[in-house]
Amino acid sequence: MKCPPFSYHRATSVDDAVAALAAAGGEGKILAGGQSLVPVLALRLARPDVIVDVDRVPGLDGLELRDGVLHAGALVRHLALAGQALHPLAAEAARWIGHTAIRSRGTLAGSLAHADPAAELPAVLRACDGAVHVAGPSGTRRIGADDLFVGALQSALEDTEMITGVELPVPDAWGFAEFARRHGDFAVVSVAAARFGDRLRVVVGGVAGVPHLVDAGDLATVDGEISEDRVAILAAAAADDVDPADDLHGSARYRRALTEQMTARALEQLTTTVREPA
Amino acid sequence: MTPTDEHAPASGTPVRRKEDARLLTGRGRFVSDLALPRMRHVAFVRSPVAHGRITGVDTAGALEVEGVSAVFTGEHPAIAPVALRAQSGLPGYVETDQPPLARGKVRFAGEAVAAVVADDRYLAEDGAEAVVVDYEPLTPTVCAWAEPEHPVHEEAPDNVLLSRTFRAGDVDAALDGAAVVVDRELTTNRHGGNPIECRAGVARYEAADRKLTFWSGTQVPWIVRTQLAELLDLPEGNIRVIAPDVGGGFGVKAVLYPEDVALCLMAMAMPGTPLKWVEDRVEHLLAATHARDHRYVLRAGFAADGELLAVKADVWCNTGAYSVYPWTAGIEPLMAGGLLTGPYKLTDYECTVRGVATNTSPSGPYRGVARPSTVFAMEALMDSGARALGLDPIALRRRNLILPADIPYKMPSRLVDDSGAYEACLDKAVATFDLDRWRAEQSRRRTEGGRPIGIGVGVYNELTGLGRAASAGPRMAFRTGHDACTVRINPDGAVTVFSGVTSQGQGLETTMAQVVADALGVDYGDVEVRYGDTDESLWGFGAFSSRQAVISGGAAHLAGEHVRGRALALAAALKEAPVEDLDLRGGEVYMAGQEKPIISLAEVARVAYLQSDRLPEGFEPGLEGTKFYDPIRGAFAAGAQIAALEFDPATGEIGILDWVCVEDAGRIVHPVIVDGQIAGSIAQGIGGAMYEHLVYDEDGNLSTGTLLDYLMPTAGEIPELRIGHVSTPGKNPTGVRGVGEGGTLAPNAVVAGALADALGVEVDDLPVTPARVWELVNP
Amino acid sequence: MKITLTVNGERHRVDVEPRRTLSDALREDLGLTGTHVGCEHGVCGACTVIVDGLPARACLMLAVQADGGSVDTVEGLADDDGTLHPLQEAFSRCHGLQCGACTPGMLMTAAHLLDTEPDPDRATIRAEMSGNICRCTGYLGIVDAVADAAAHRRARPEEAS
Ligand SMILES: Cc1cc2nc3c(=O)[nH]c(=O)nc-3n(C[C@H](O)[C@H](O)[C@H](O)COP(=O)(O)OP(=O)(O)OC[C@H]3O[C@@H](n4cnc5c(N)ncnc54)[C@H](O)[C@@H]3O)c2cc1C
Ligand code: FES
Ligand code: FES
Repeated sequence: MKCPPFSYHRATSVDDAVAALAAAGGEGKILAGGQSLVPVLALRLARPDVIVDVDRVPGLDGLELRDGVLHAGALVRHLALAGQALHPLAAEAARWIGHTAIRSRGTLAGSLAHADPAAELPAVLRACDGAVHVAGPSGTRRIGADDLFVGALQSALEDTEMITGVELPVPDAWGFAEFARRHGDFAVVSVAAARFGDRLRVVVGGVAGVPHLVDAGDLATVDGEISEDRVAILAAAAADDVDPADDLHGSARYRRALTEQMTARALEQLTTTVREPA
Repeated sequence: MTPTDEHAPASGTPVRRKEDARLLTGRGRFVSDLALPRMRHVAFVRSPVAHGRITGVDTAGALEVEGVSAVFTGEHPAIAPVALRAQSGLPGYVETDQPPLARGKVRFAGEAVAAVVADDRYLAEDGAEAVVVDYEPLTPTVCAWAEPEHPVHEEAPDNVLLSRTFRAGDVDAALDGAAVVVDRELTTNRHGGNPIECRAGVARYEAADRKLTFWSGTQVPWIVRTQLAELLDLPEGNIRVIAPDVGGGFGVKAVLYPEDVALCLMAMAMPGTPLKWVEDRVEHLLAATHARDHRYVLRAGFAADGELLAVKADVWCNTGAYSVYPWTAGIEPLMAGGLLTGPYKLTDYECTVRGVATNTSPSGPYRGVARPSTVFAMEALMDSGARALGLDPIALRRRNLILPADIPYKMPSRLVDDSGAYEACLDKAVATFDLDRWRAEQSRRRTEGGRPIGIGVGVYNELTGLGRAASAGPRMAFRTGHDACTVRINPDGAVTVFSGVTSQGQGLETTMAQVVADALGVDYGDVEVRYGDTDESLWGFGAFSSRQAVISGGAAHLAGEHVRGRALALAAALKEAPVEDLDLRGGEVYMAGQEKPIISLAEVARVAYLQSDRLPEGFEPGLEGTKFYDPIRGAFAAGAQIAALEFDPATGEIGILDWVCVEDAGRIVHPVIVDGQIAGSIAQGIGGAMYEHLVYDEDGNLSTGTLLDYLMPTAGEIPELRIGHVSTPGKNPTGVRGVGEGGTLAPNAVVAGALADALGVEVDDLPVTPARVWELVNP
Repeated sequence: MKITLTVNGERHRVDVEPRRTLSDALREDLGLTGTHVGCEHGVCGACTVIVDGLPARACLMLAVQADGGSVDTVEGLADDDGTLHPLQEAFSRCHGLQCGACTPGMLMTAAHLLDTEPDPDRATIRAEMSGNICRCTGYLGIVDAVADAAAHRRARPEEAS
């Protein structure tokens, strides 16, 4: 389990990183916290020519709240995200990621770019209808959460693009629930729920190639309070809406049942986490 | 030890472990750490297909990779003549060959096909990637109870390598006479040892004197030496096997692997160049031995009062692609048939066991060998019987336990049980656990709501310290009943022990020092123990079957006593005192009735080595002695575990609320080490019962190839275990009974029993995962 | 690539391939084999070291990523005169180790835990130590040891540094 050979470029700025990726002509790979990429390399499941290490690019670890949106730099570590109070849903979700030694290195953009369907932060990005800022050879662009995740471990990023920042709108109320096999494991099923005004967004992780945004139709319009009955109906609707596959950790039927349970738990929490007016 | 209890015995006290100082400071000496001049590194090319003919191996590309110095395949002249052939005299056993590197055919995904030698492991892996192997696939067989399309070995067209029926009494008649008959069909999940240090070896061959040194993370260095001598055609004295600190074993390292043999053969082909192979975790999951992939079809008959009348069983054990060397494919099936009835009295028994080859990684010894599965099977019968009879499951067990009055008890498999402490263990476990309190909480939740609670029980016997009459392994070319120990008093009076033990964490360096210190009469701190090196110590079969504390401990005690006798005899002569009045304590010789020592052991030793002019007539210089010990039979160790688990029917989530284990370890040499063995083995048992599962798909690919899918329990999953003891000393010099494996035996039964108790569903297939719980509750 | 690592306070210059992991650089290039590897994919925790003050998996960092940084390993825990760190003492006292393969990672994880949370309860200890697999102990002795070391430290704060 040793990485295949590659050459190494330690980027000093976003421009430098993008230039290095462009020079690699699609055979370059960004390295941030390394908590997903290094195992992939060690298993020789990828063999990039060039590793572009962005870990030390200055100015990408900021956390700033502007107009109800948390603007986070690409290199914000899971540990920092878990420790901030500006976006409580992101903080709660980040606490569920692995262990301290993983959270100390792993980055927000790394998790989003890696696009693991069972990962917490992609589900949060989607629940909050957030977006990423991307720099590439032809300039910058913004990709909304609904467009970022294309399939399991597949994002809409080009090989030569880099996420520089993340927009995470802060919901008026939120809830997060997860079922994992062991302490710190990737979710079997996780649910992130966020309410913005009267709109509810419920996202289920672990049931499809991408974090699944539940289509709850009219049920997604709520007037502040969500009754116990409404929670049950929404949870059942979420379970109906997902289409998971059988795998090692459970059958499709089981994942559907977990979806219902986790949705209910997340929504119950959501009813208790109304944001104080700033 | 505190200064006040000067010269108190070391045994029975939690002295500081001798191995701790180096292991805590990063100064351990593991094979993985070894660096030698001119050393090169090996990576194996492993088969991606489960079953197929090798139609071509092209190594040219690999030889061009920078840093690669050699590539070996199964056809290489250094490798081709050698095969590992696990031998047994059992009737009907089909012997098969296992090549060090696959030859002609691959039989499981992960089998080593070629090996690349390079300057470092990175380059070796680059080389391994560049080896091109062509395969013509054959249909693989993954399941041991399915018809093969293409047999794994030509010699066994039905894949059955071994089959044997254990028979006692008349089972059919007994079943006819039973008040109730229960049937169960069970499978247990394949899993494995996964020590934190994977397998590791360094082999160095010096052509000038034809000497091979093999540093190996093995549990069985002497067996390795004997087998290597035969396979490599070297005199046994020319081979030195060294097992220094070994990062866990659990049985997985009690095997001589094809990779080990390949490494030595390659080293012999490259004299003067030490070759190092450190297995990585992916290789370990793929190709180190697995275990416990079994099926049990069971029928039991009970009398109306709960007496167990008959057990009839059909057992299939998946032995994987090769008969594990040198233990053979019999290791699991024979243990299953021999120990199935466990701690219960039974006269009418019939059990047919089979070892069936499949295209999966070979099965080998893993802590508890087969008994985690058989205890699950037997306790499932007990629980089903209790339900059918409307009896309390614990009362039903009690009704059938082998009691002290029954000892020695001849089990239906003709093994002789010398324990009888089962009820004592069960009683103490039930009391410690506070069964009444948990039953009350259980019914409170039933009426008032809350997650359902279930109580699970497992009672078991651990067969430990097997002597020649009960020796581990099926009619093999060697009998594993004895070990040796040499005790040497150095010229300065300090003691060096050359023990036949090996240690993978069991603290045997400490335990042997305690035993020798007490047998000899010196302080624990003055005893140094050398072990795991075939050039230093005389003999030890190694670590398996919870044997070393009993057998090597016995040898250490006898050798210590012997040397004590010599030292006292010399002291008596020097001091002109009657030897029967002398006593050796804390390294000083005392005369009965005198408070002050009359001579120190150091002075006695100085005379023995350096002042032959003072030696009495006929006294041979030196103070040293070697003794073998063989307990002839074995020591059965009783144990019982009981636990309360809660289940969430909506998610299948399982919570362990309390877990109590009581074992009979006989006389305890080091209480903390003993509890550590028990806790560690329960944790592995819980892992097997709830988390760990090596899953093959139909094509024979391992689906759980990394630790992201192969889940071992962490501190977050293992509960606060409560461990208690009863003590009936074993009939051996130190009175101990083995404790290495017992803990693993019950968790399958406990967890499955608790689930049935909580939710009324019988679980037939392990592991008990949340998904399984949910599926059973929501069929 | 030539890099500089300050390991346990001592500066080292090493020349490594970019693909070399920090764990391999420590073990193979610096001869500091106290840091163990048990999986090389981030799960077992045996390789856990402290990098610039935070615990990290040495198997998931390229050595070049630690260039110029400081790394603390198990070899640096005890004093130069051989006096054991309170955690090492507690691990020995409570039998928090058997084979010793997981021990370096356990100690470094626990050291960081006690630096950030001087009075952890057993549930916290279990949660924080759950990123490290031990195959031998069943965790009983490990949890005891961490709790014991914490208590010891609170009782004698002057030894804590
Ligand atoms: C034992 C273990 C347990 C874990 N448990 C969890 C868990 O429970 N939940 C969870 O969500 N995650 C878990 N992770 C993964 C962890 O969260 C990773 O940190 C994360 O997935 C990737 O972040 P990184 O910064 O480490 O990215 P890297 O590993 O450096 O990179 C990951 C991928 O993202 C790309 N990338 C990185 N940064 C950028 C960028 N700025 N722009 C474009 N592409 C980029 C890389 O090229 C690469 O393809 C676990 C990891 C381990 C080892
Ligand atoms: S070796 Fe790094 S986590 Fe296992
Ligand atoms: S002590 Fe052996 S793995 Fe923990």
